[in-house]
Amino acid sequence: MKALLKKVVETFGPSGREDAIRQLLLDEIKPYVDRTFIDNMGNLHAVKEGKGARVMVAAHMDEIGFVVTHIDEKGFLRISPVGGVAPVRCLYQRVLLENGARGVVGVESVKNPNDIDFSKLYVDIGARDEKEARKLAQEGLFGAFLNEMTEMNGLITAKSLDDRVGCVIAVEAARQLKKSPNEIHFVFTVQEEVGLRGAIAAAYNIEPDLGIALDVTGTGDTPDAPKMPMKLREGVAVKIKDNSLLVPRRVKDFFMRVAEKNKIIYQPEILTFGGTDAGAINLSRSGVLAGCLSIPTRYIHSVSETASLSDIEEAIKLLVKILESDVKKELED
Amino acid sequence: MKTEDMLKALTEAPGISGAEDDVAHLLRNYFARLADEATIDKFQNVIGVKKGRTSGGKVMMAAHIDQIGFLVKTFDKGGFIRLAAVGGHDPRVLPGQSVVIYGKEQVRGIIGTTPPHLQKPGDTAKITSLDDLYVDTGLDEITLKSKVQVGDPVLFDNVCTELQGGLYAGAAMDNRAGVLVLLETLKILEKMRHDWDVYMVGTVQEEVGTRGAAMTAYEIAPDVGIAIDVTFGDFPGIPERDTAKLGKGGAVAIGPNFHPALTEKLMELAQEWEVPFQKEFIPRPGGTDAVSMQIAARGVPMVQVSIPLRYMHTTVETLDLKDIKRAARLLALFAAQLEQTHREVLG
Repeated sequence: MKALLKKVVETFGPSGREDAIRQLLLDEIKPYVDRTFIDNMGNLHAVKEGKGARVMVAAHMDEIGFVVTHIDEKGFLRISPVGGVAPVRCLYQRVLLENGARGVVGVESVKNPNDIDFSKLYVDIGARDEKEARKLAQEGLFGAFLNEMTEMNGLITAKSLDDRVGCVIAVEAARQLKKSPNEIHFVFTVQEEVGLRGAIAAAYNIEPDLGIALDVTGTGDTPDAPKMPMKLREGVAVKIKDNSLLVPRRVKDFFMRVAEKNKIIYQPEILTFGGTDAGAINLSRSGVLAGCLSIPTRYIHSVSETASLSDIEEAIKLLVKILESDVKKELED
Repeated sequence: MKTEDMLKALTEAPGISGAEDDVAHLLRNYFARLADEATIDKFQNVIGVKKGRTSGGKVMMAAHIDQIGFLVKTFDKGGFIRLAAVGGHDPRVLPGQSVVIYGKEQVRGIIGTTPPHLQKPGDTAKITSLDDLYVDTGLDEITLKSKVQVGDPVLFDNVCTELQGGLYAGAAMDNRAGVLVLLETLKILEKMRHDWDVYMVGTVQEEVGTRGAAMTAYEIAPDVGIAIDVTFGDFPGIPERDTAKLGKGGAVAIGPNFHPALTEKLMELAQEWEVPFQKEFIPRPGGTDAVSMQIAARGVPMVQVSIPLRYMHTTVETLDLKDIKRAARLLALFAAQLEQTHREVLG
């Protein structure tokens, strides 16, 4: 799982440019499912057939990034964010453009660090002048951040754990799944970071009985953190609410019941901001029961997102057990 | 069923967004007595259908049944509870409130605050944010945790109070007032001929993004939609142009969310039948069920009528019962002749 996670987090794929990560995930999951296809939006579907409930498992494969908007006369690039990118978190980060060019983010001199916004940032791609820069890069190219995954005492630190960790949980669950009565659609969604857009189209297409998003969530376990119940190393988080979804009680209870029955370590999640693909699935057509399994993660939307390997293992176990249950029966009133 | 009794029962039934079960069941029972069908869907949306003579079209009237509240977020040492908001709260009105926690059993609590004697100079001018407020139940941490879990709903302890002059005050008037309009409209329609089928819908999760309305409008796919909600009632210190007057009838919404010709027709009817009403201008998509109903399924032409309500999102939301009855009369008249109106305006 760790080797797969390293490969997956380090692969390029900002929202709208998910080609490379989609190909990798397709190769990884194909042996474990009955069929795969890519829909009009670019979502990757991997389906395990079954006669029971239709379950959509969504993990978004896009990551935050940027688009090149301008190249100046000295050969520096100006950029605009794709998804929720905080300007200060870009400082001096290494970046990769979709054409393979590399760069580093610099900043104009500012008196007050609070004044740093995207108009003050630029990307240095090593060009001597505008002419050379235009050979290396063009306006409209997408880019993403670079960082290697590292391990520290059972925690892992990497870029784009949001939400490549969800993608890996889905692949691992597909691999470990033995017998399931359900028709399971593993969907690696696009464009979550710009408004849950891939999941909207995928859910409309699938018409699931149950949606399960796999994603990261914030924690309250760092110095002076906002008061939140989630902590690293305390298990997979079962979502109760975020800004996109109030998880229906029967869904939350079902997930917790399965966890308790199988002695899987879990914690309740209450997030007062943000949303996941589950919110989009919930609002599809005349409404879909949906929930979310989350990985408590520190420093979300930085190049050093940090989570616990043990929580990821618990998430895989819980997802497998949920998918192996008779979902139709479990969700009865 | 007396209007006043239904208002009291509806406002005192708990129904935080996402866990509307109690108020949903109450409403279903009312619908069962006044409509031909009464059902609850998997999200607790309540749908009452009253068949028309021709069933030539469908009108959906929606009023949200959910109310703002809190969820238990974390436990502090000593047995104090921190809250996560569900819906939009005004932090100024929270300290000193009584609350009920809906855990394994109902647990009473209060939202504590620093007494004036212990405040530092300037503190009175500051607003304490929800993050710094807590609930005190009197229970120690261990006992508390045996009764209450993270995620349990917390609501204001609510009593519907009759003031003088036909005014009523309490929490959750937003939008049980609208729900009551649905019921009063059904009462009138029982004695009227109407051609179209009338779908009365108590929607869930309006306060967190008009979600129940999006689901049910997609499911029903009505030919005409009517959102019924509350709007800002007049009170001292607020410009008249931003409010509707209590006791002067329902406020008919005018703006891009609302079909101009249907809205015009609604106001013509009000004038013709001498039903008092007011106008409310909503220049951009607002925060009511109309925003999601309008773009549900293949699109729904909308009108909206709102009940003037003072002190919105507090425990003393105040309304005039007359406005509910007048809005219901207007909507019954409108629904009764929709087949003809629709032909004239949209046919």
